[in-house]
Amino acid sequence: MLKNLSWRHFDFWLLGAVVLAIAFGIAMIDSAVAGNAELADYPNRQAIFAGIGLVVILLVATIDYNYWLVLYRPMYGVMMVLLIFLFMSARAVFGAARWFRVGVIFIQPTELAKLVVILILARYFDKTKNEPRDLRWIISSLLWTMGLTIWILLQPNLSNVIVIIVIWIAMLWMSGLQLKHLVSFAIGGFALVTAAFPFLQEYQQQRVLTFIFPDPNATYGETYNIQQALIAIGSGSWLGKGYGHGSQVQLRFLKVRHTDFIFSAISEEFGFVGALIVIATLAFILWRCIRAARLARDTSGAMIAFGVATLIFFQGAVNIAVNLNLIPVSGLPLPFISYGGSGLLSLMLGVGLVESVVMRHKLTEF
Amino acid sequence: MSTNSPSGFRTEPWRVLIFYIAAALVFSMLIFRLFNLQVLEGGNWLVSAEDNYTREISVPSSRGIIYDRNGVILARNVASYNVVITPAYLPDDQADIERVYRELSEIIAVPVNSGTVDDAKLFAACVPGPGIAQLVELGDSLAPYTPVPVSCDVDEKTARIVRERSVGWPGVSMQIDPIRDYPTGSLTANIIGFLGPIPATQVDLYEELGFVAGRDKIGYAGVESTLQDILAGTNGKRVIEVDVAGQELRNLEAPIEPVAGRNVRLSIDVRLQRAAEGVLLNEIEGWNAYFGQVRISSGVTIAMNPKTGEILAMVSYPTYENNRFARFIPAYYYQQLSEDSRNPLLNNAISSEYPPGSVFKLSTATGALNEGVVTVDQTIYAPGQLILTEKFSPNDPGRERPFVDWIYDEQPEGFGEINFLRCIAFSSNVCFYKLGGGYEDEIPEGLGILRLGEYARALGYGEPSGIELPGETDGLIPSPQWKRINQGENWSTGDTYIASVGQGYVLATPLQVLMSGATIANDGGLMQPTVVREELDDEGRLLKPFEPHLKWDITETPLITNFDCDGGYCIEMETKSAVDPFVVEQVQTGMRLAVTDTLHGTLNKIFGDFPIAVAGKTGTAEYCDDVALAANRCTFGNWPTHSWTLAYAPFEDPEIVIMAFMYNGGEGASVAGPVVGRVMEAYFELKAIDLAEGGGN
Repeated sequence: MLKNLSWRHFDFWLLGAVVLAIAFGIAMIDSAVAGNAELADYPNRQAIFAGIGLVVILLVATIDYNYWLVLYRPMYGVMMVLLIFLFMSARAVFGAARWFRVGVIFIQPTELAKLVVILILARYFDKTKNEPRDLRWIISSLLWTMGLTIWILLQPNLSNVIVIIVIWIAMLWMSGLQLKHLVSFAIGGFALVTAAFPFLQEYQQQRVLTFIFPDPNATYGETYNIQQALIAIGSGSWLGKGYGHGSQVQLRFLKVRHTDFIFSAISEEFGFVGALIVIATLAFILWRCIRAARLARDTSGAMIAFGVATLIFFQGAVNIAVNLNLIPVSGLPLPFISYGGSGLLSLMLGVGLVESVVMRHKLTEF
Repeated sequence: MSTNSPSGFRTEPWRVLIFYIAAALVFSMLIFRLFNLQVLEGGNWLVSAEDNYTREISVPSSRGIIYDRNGVILARNVASYNVVITPAYLPDDQADIERVYRELSEIIAVPVNSGTVDDAKLFAACVPGPGIAQLVELGDSLAPYTPVPVSCDVDEKTARIVRERSVGWPGVSMQIDPIRDYPTGSLTANIIGFLGPIPATQVDLYEELGFVAGRDKIGYAGVESTLQDILAGTNGKRVIEVDVAGQELRNLEAPIEPVAGRNVRLSIDVRLQRAAEGVLLNEIEGWNAYFGQVRISSGVTIAMNPKTGEILAMVSYPTYENNRFARFIPAYYYQQLSEDSRNPLLNNAISSEYPPGSVFKLSTATGALNEGVVTVDQTIYAPGQLILTEKFSPNDPGRERPFVDWIYDEQPEGFGEINFLRCIAFSSNVCFYKLGGGYEDEIPEGLGILRLGEYARALGYGEPSGIELPGETDGLIPSPQWKRINQGENWSTGDTYIASVGQGYVLATPLQVLMSGATIANDGGLMQPTVVREELDDEGRLLKPFEPHLKWDITETPLITNFDCDGGYCIEMETKSAVDPFVVEQVQTGMRLAVTDTLHGTLNKIFGDFPIAVAGKTGTAEYCDDVALAANRCTFGNWPTHSWTLAYAPFEDPEIVIMAFMYNGGEGASVAGPVVGRVMEAYFELKAIDLAEGGGN
């Protein structure tokens, strides 16, 4: 396979957009952690992760993505063991644990799990491409998904469960989900969410409630972070206050400004124009991924690219929507830009898979 | 692309299109929202961002120091160290917060947990009781960015330790609170007063002047209140940039420095004040011990320079301890003071009015001689009592009524034939009845109440003196009109008789009595009484030197409205006149005679042997107030009496005038007299000391 490898089809536009986003992210992290000695090496760490990530992209691009699908059983098994272990250790310390500590590096298996789900589903939809799109087909795919997702739900980490569900629905859709099923899913899903609400963790309920019914008296704590984010974004105006000059960022009124609220930090320092460029970059990456899906040689390749596209798009949209106070606080990072090694690495791994797909597309289709 | 390519299934393009549309919709929504926030509402959010980092700080000015005339500090500011916690700046992690509490608790000896938050609500700030966690939790629920005092007035060493260690304790800091300290305490409380919080009703007024309600205090009594504007200074203002932790980063505007309040040097000589207080207390306690009961419940003594109006000492007993109000006004103490029927919070020297009794005869004497009611050569027959007709109208046939002289009990025949000067020296009531109300052919036309009122006002009665102390009352010079309005009764001849000796409706403050004596002593010049001498800046430079203020000179200023009197009825005329200096001189001589006349001179026993020539006047004023009424003393011949004495020295060139008043003291000469005598002694002793040291004023 390697000898047929042609770098001519490697999507440098995609890689360029990703590198641009990451570089911009590192610069923004640098601005966001200014004045905080504890976080001073975060930009460097992010840069190191980005460097590793670049190697990962190139390596993964060189390997045919179908090799991964062959290994779906061990992949699925190992992932499940990791997630179960994470869940158990979380029980042991009476709280939600989302990462393993390996030396100085924290590994979040959940981030990797999202990619594993994409690969598993890609294989499933490839195998079942000629079967009728009936309920059995849907439920089997759901069972594959839930085998990993259930442990994430138990962590509990609702946001990432939603991400995976959305990826599953998007991949179902692209594989030919019938409209009647989609509609009944929408209705059923709504009913399920309503019914499940009482079973959410208290803090999760609280997040949703403060979003839907803002308490006029709750000026601190619950609404503080999002209020500061809105101030940061709004005060950015057209062109922003300039890099390193955002008062909300530099004077630390904006919380978690290097991760969850980095979009607010960008909006403050670079204004509407800067925020638009970020959204445009995301849209561009999305387009390149879907382009790869449509060029893909086979169903599994298309599904991998669709899955990664959905992952990047959905996470990005949710993060920005949270920053803009359109939806409740979720804790999802802004793809490629937010600080976080595991998140960045798994997204870059995803990009590597997309590159692997696009490099092996059928020339005749072009 | 076809859906049936060799490799099998391909996504239908319309599905991709719908995916694109969904993504485009989401992105459009985000961009729309972004545009709204940043472009349309940007201005408002920018204001919010500025509000976040802009903090306006009122920089407190330091309150002026109050000195006595010799530079002894009467009021100053001392630092008090409070350990405070700003709830918003505590660490995020509960375990870290607990650590801070634990470590802090060991140093300031306040428990980490004690009681509940609800318990803590019952405690005023700085009152020990609640634990640190409860105080902070309460503060956090009210205003997280307002520092909560957890331990107040800690010693300097603790303050230093906390300040050093607070680097590792986010949220913990030291607050330096200036508190007012009165080294002389209760001795000068009635003059200095005390501070209190800005009352809710006046918050707007004071905030407009740059005060901060809840932090800045204002004067509530004494010169702290009247000199508030001079002492307080002006708060400075700084607009600073702060980070989220409230840490100050830089000035956003040029800071306006606070202007310190001016220091004030009072005219009080604290040494004389102390002596006067000692003398007064000693006398009161002596008599109360003698009678075996609290007979004299309050007293006043004031010493003033008649030539300048400077009050050297002003003691009002009972008083209060103003240092107990330094930090806050304790409810129980304030309640105790306000429920005390003797009213310790009141400065009796200016805020209480009493019948002046015979000291008021100075007004009658001045008026009678100046109006030609009597001449100095005339002799007046002064029997022990006078039967006079009390008439309420010209046609009233009247009712005979005895008017007794004070000498009646021991010498029923009275003083006999005496001249004008002896009338003053002996304080003969009968003589003054005749001068005031007229008597047959001897004094065909008495002074009358209207003309008496004119002279009394000229000597300082009947209106507030204007001294720099709050709560001054104006006393009362009655008139027929006043009586009709307030008593619903016509003025009677008897009213004029008793008003002539300072009884009946006449009321005066001790300071007014002092002023009348000072005016006579100063040859008719009424100096504005003052407790304030000079205003100084921080370095002791004189900002406003002392200038004695002559209110008026009765021998020069035409103050006396003339009346055309006939048969006891007077008509007001357009003209006004002054007092003949000769008249003042004669009244002085009469007062001197009270000291020198060995026969009946009222002050002879006290000042007869005094090395310096003293002149004076005593008063024994019958009164009937709530207390006397309750004691069933308000019956004829049984009335209780206030004791008054007024004296000045040296006679030839007066420099000190002293008065003493004893509530229910009895005879003026024997109760108030010794107080004046001993304060006078103290004054001249201090003067001798100052002269020996080559200093003094």
